[in-house]
Amino acid sequence: MGRQMTEMLKGTLDGIVLAILSDQPAYGYEITARLREMGFSDTAEGTVYALLVRIEKRGLVDVQKVPSTQGPPRKVYSLNAVGQDYLDEFWRTWSFLAERLNELHEGDQS
Amino acid sequence: MIGWIEKVTGPLEDKKRYRDYKTRAKALPAPYRTTVEALDRYLLYFGAIAKGDVLVTMLEDLVEFFEQSAQAGTPLREIVGEDPVEFAETFLANYSEGQWINKERQRLIQAVARAESEESAS
Repeated sequence: MGRQMTEMLKGTLDGIVLAILSDQPAYGYEITARLREMGFSDTAEGTVYALLVRIEKRGLVDVQKVPSTQGPPRKVYSLNAVGQDYLDEFWRTWSFLAERLNELHEGDQS
Repeated sequence: MIGWIEKVTGPLEDKKRYRDYKTRAKALPAPYRTTVEALDRYLLYFGAIAKGDVLVTMLEDLVEFFEQSAQAGTPLREIVGEDPVEFAETFLANYSEGQWINKERQRLIQAVARAESEESAS
């Protein structure tokens, strides 16, 4: 992924991760794996981890510690009501932004 | 009248947590340990976190993450990414409430707010 992609992703990764969690609860590695499947192939697990710490601190997710067969328990994250509100707002903002950028793009092409 | 007790136990408790963190970091397999130590150094330099409890919480979160990554055998590059500085600074942003600069941020916000009220008064 190029520099520009990294920069643009910075502002939207919260929303993307919350959208993934709205599908079903997941732990850190599963979220990173989903992002990689989506084509964000260079996503560092550390970036996702730091993001999860942040959304937990902001109260957007509920966290459950699930014992794992090997090693320390895993933290499973699920979207809560506050997180759902944030996600709704994220999609509204995203639609607005995408629409305006498309207008600019089309204007540029004609 | 528990003020003085907190003054004594607070920092002591932080010191104990800090020592426990160091022990956990040392117990990591070599490449993970080296990376945690390097991140620790950068986070302390760049972060300038003045609150002991916030600092220790940050280091505990860091070592917990690396313990899990070591357990899962995740390659280092997949953990910290192409740019370790980027990772360190994203990670650090979660603990900004403990940063010394936060006081100055508040000061700046209040100074502008005061100036604004003078503007509307004149």
